[in-house]
Amino acid sequence: MQNYLLTILILLPVIGAATGVAYSFTPGAKESHHRWIALGFTTLAFLLSLLLLKGSGGGINAFRIEENYPWIAAVGARYHVGVDGISLWLVILTTLLMPISVLSSWTAITKRQPTYYALMLLLESAMIGVFVSLDLLLFYLFFEASLVPMFFLIGVWGGERRIYAAVKFFIYTAVGSLLMLVGIIALYFIHQNATGVGTFDYAVLTETLRSGAMALSPRAEFWLFLAFAFAFCIKVPLWPLHTWLHDAHTEAPTAGSVILAGVLLKMGTYGLLRFNFGLFPNASRYFAPLMITLAVIGIIYGALVAMVQPDVKRLVAYSSVSHMGFVVLGLFSFTEQGMQGALYQMLNHGVSTGALFLFVGMIYERRHTRMISDFGGLVRPMPWFSTFFVIASLSSIGLPFLNGFVGEFLIMLSSWTSFAVQHAWIVTMLAGTGVIWAAVYMLWMLQRVVFGTTTSEANAKLLDLNAREIGLVLPLLLLMLFMGVYPSIFLNRSRASVEAARQVIANPAAGRTINVANASKSEAQR
Amino acid sequence: MFLFQAATPDINLTLIAPELIVGIAGVIVMMVDAFGRRGQCWLTGSLSIVGLAASAIASVWLWTSWVGPRTAFNGMIVLDELRLSFTLIFVIVAILTILISSIWIETEKLPAGEYHSLLLFATSGMMLMASAGDLVIVFLGLEILSIATYVLAGFRRTDVRSNESSLKYFILGSFASAFLLYGIALVYGATATQSLPGTTNIATIAARANSSLYPPLLLAGAAMMLVGFGFKIATAPFHVWTPDVYEGAPTPVTAFMAAGPKAAGFASFLRVFVFGFPIATAVVSTGGFAHKAWLGALAVMAVLTMSVGNIVAIVQNNVKRMLAYSSIAHAGYALVGFVAAGAATTIEDRSAALSAVAFYLLTYAVMNMGAFAVVTFIARRGDQQTNVDDYNGIGFASPVLAFSLSIFLLSLFGMPLTAGFMGKLVVFSAALKQGYAWLVVIGVLNAAISAYYYLRLIIVMFFRERTETWDVPRLPASLALALVLTILGVFYLGLFPGRVLNAFQARPTISLQLR
Repeated sequence: MQNYLLTILILLPVIGAATGVAYSFTPGAKESHHRWIALGFTTLAFLLSLLLLKGSGGGINAFRIEENYPWIAAVGARYHVGVDGISLWLVILTTLLMPISVLSSWTAITKRQPTYYALMLLLESAMIGVFVSLDLLLFYLFFEASLVPMFFLIGVWGGERRIYAAVKFFIYTAVGSLLMLVGIIALYFIHQNATGVGTFDYAVLTETLRSGAMALSPRAEFWLFLAFAFAFCIKVPLWPLHTWLHDAHTEAPTAGSVILAGVLLKMGTYGLLRFNFGLFPNASRYFAPLMITLAVIGIIYGALVAMVQPDVKRLVAYSSVSHMGFVVLGLFSFTEQGMQGALYQMLNHGVSTGALFLFVGMIYERRHTRMISDFGGLVRPMPWFSTFFVIASLSSIGLPFLNGFVGEFLIMLSSWTSFAVQHAWIVTMLAGTGVIWAAVYMLWMLQRVVFGTTTSEANAKLLDLNAREIGLVLPLLLLMLFMGVYPSIFLNRSRASVEAARQVIANPAAGRTINVANASKSEAQR
Repeated sequence: MFLFQAATPDINLTLIAPELIVGIAGVIVMMVDAFGRRGQCWLTGSLSIVGLAASAIASVWLWTSWVGPRTAFNGMIVLDELRLSFTLIFVIVAILTILISSIWIETEKLPAGEYHSLLLFATSGMMLMASAGDLVIVFLGLEILSIATYVLAGFRRTDVRSNESSLKYFILGSFASAFLLYGIALVYGATATQSLPGTTNIATIAARANSSLYPPLLLAGAAMMLVGFGFKIATAPFHVWTPDVYEGAPTPVTAFMAAGPKAAGFASFLRVFVFGFPIATAVVSTGGFAHKAWLGALAVMAVLTMSVGNIVAIVQNNVKRMLAYSSIAHAGYALVGFVAAGAATTIEDRSAALSAVAFYLLTYAVMNMGAFAVVTFIARRGDQQTNVDDYNGIGFASPVLAFSLSIFLLSLFGMPLTAGFMGKLVVFSAALKQGYAWLVVIGVLNAAISAYYYLRLIIVMFFRERTETWDVPRLPASLALALVLTILGVFYLGLFPGRVLNAFQARPTISLQLR
């Protein structure tokens, strides 16, 4: 069981989707039963994924649970999956958000339920696949495969401009990932020329890079980094490649937005951390100033644009650009704190933005509008909703004792102290304004939506959250609190893997240490 | 008497068994149709499928039983993996065409026997093109194929569009054949030596390419053949006939033309250029330019073909026309592999690139036949409903059809897990290995463009609501079988292509360095 856990995790949702399809052909099949099937399989996957927590984290190639079989010998692809401290949490985040998303669609999705839940399940297995693949071709396969279900989810169950949003989402992401495919194939041949055997296996590639058996020329590394980074930065999305995001987020159904923000964006930052840092350490250092600049622009730009949005969902979508900017900043600070903070911020963003999208979905389901101006004074008719919504918003702002604070604090602390960040204090100050802006746009939005006098008849008659809705947001709210006060339970498990990833950047190849440009000041002082 | 001594006929019927079987099956089907009761679609259809299956068995037998490349009929016929892999593609295409067209023949009340025997003759022509070791056989195969296909394109005699398509195809096809023939003649003249007459044998051409008495003549001949072949496989700028012909021809015939004759053109094209003007001659000063010239021309053609095909496909409102432009684009992707095969400097690389092209065309054949199966079915009587608007909102009305079509379209785009992705992967890998990074980048950008029009059909089917009523048609058994086969093929080739790829690659029996 333990040996096949990852394969089971990938296949379980597929089996769930197949069960759903098979069920729809049985006589007397009811559309409403499909959500139970989906809920059952996603919950089972979540429970199984908790088994991954057993044992402690390892080094970069010490993947805790690993499977490795030949897949297509003719093209040199292997079925190699594994989990380390970095992917562990992202897998669990995925499996946690899935049952919640299914529950959030319970009454929101009324048309074509069998297809909807089948696509949700397929999406889950593609996402798990992305985070556990250690073969570049396999990774690419899951990375692309996650596009199709999301494309359908946005296109069929989305809002008014869903077709535009779906196509934009698909083509934007496909362009980036196709260029990454070229990079992947090129890497295969570089390895073949160096060692005589071509491989897509990430573990093997990093091993030969570290041992010096294969050396990338600076030119090759430059282009390969760009090919990979382009795909990932679109996914993150890093400014100025973010323009697909607000359309996709806004038009997607609630569950789609939750998954998009909660998981799909993390594929980009995960890819940067895992593949760009692991395979192209020199180019990563070379590009760090550029990436940090774009990240800081994204932080401020996302926040400022979020501030003026009349639509709550768009506001949350733009806040994602800002939050993901923090993640990229943390990654490219090349300190353990910063990278841990970035990983933590990925989880935070998944939890708190996911929750925010859920809340937006709940009021949309009641009022069929998302305009801030249509709401006001919801606290009176909907006290539970208002309380929870405020907590989630504060978590998103980064209030101490809630999760957002931990991630952002770690990131800013390290970007201030890191040698790798040039003009560190300017960068950090600018990024810091992002937190202030976050308070501005979030609190202002809360003021207009939740507080004040109840503006209209329709708002006064709104029903508060029912048991299902409370049940589906409660885990996230508890997690926000827990992650805010006791982060070490998460950080301890990822520390070894993150530190190993940082070591690759610090010492790209054996015997070739670069000067301390990447060790943080605090470490030097120690 | 001395005639026999001069050329002992090297007759070896086993080597042309697949062609023979298909040809004989064609004659039998014609006879059954002539003497049996008319209009028995299932009878002639199943006879044809039996014939094709027998031919497939024969070629698989050839595949497993023989070692090393062989020739017969004094080098007229060759037996190698290139030929056998293409033979397999043709058989698959022909069988799928028969399955797809059965419903169409019945609704249109067309003479089934004629149709099936023409299809079989065309198939034997295609097979001959793949097995040709001599330019004369190439031309012979091409004519057998073309004449049958001209008739097939105009098979709906009462329809003006079908007539137009047939006539256009005939006139422009003859034009291209003339180019090819002229090229063959020039090459024949150019390969003459002081003591020997010229040759049309591909291996001999390669041997004499450096010692040509008139190198410019060789170049002109190669250029003429390039145009002729470029026309047959519809590469830009010789593609202009394709959309009209594909749109006007009956839909199953369009499916056949896009997958079969195109692959056959590639088979001969590859054989003549990669083996006839190989890189081995490129080092020598006199013959080298022929190789360099066609390689450069082909790279440019690949870029043009991909770009024109994809960009023009975006604005098409007719599904058949859109698929026609998509087929042009796919010829462009295959040309990327062709360039890699031409540039390969070792036997292993060359064989890998050749097998990549063959594999690409196999994947294209499978997914394209699948897509056309759905299009044929939706088009109904007289090919009436082939506009994009006719697909409005049918997604959830007939999910089986719509989801199948979506799978084929995503495969045509090159979505991972499907055959289309593996095809692109092997072709682009081959090109990248030979250092054609720029060509590959243009290729993937084109793939990204193609997403737009493939998605468009999916969008129309699933994301729009249907305004007029759509009576969900019942799926006939033959079409259902074709769909099952193609979907299984798409996923099999997409997930476990190892066996097929290995079989398509030449076994390393000879270790001769090309340069």
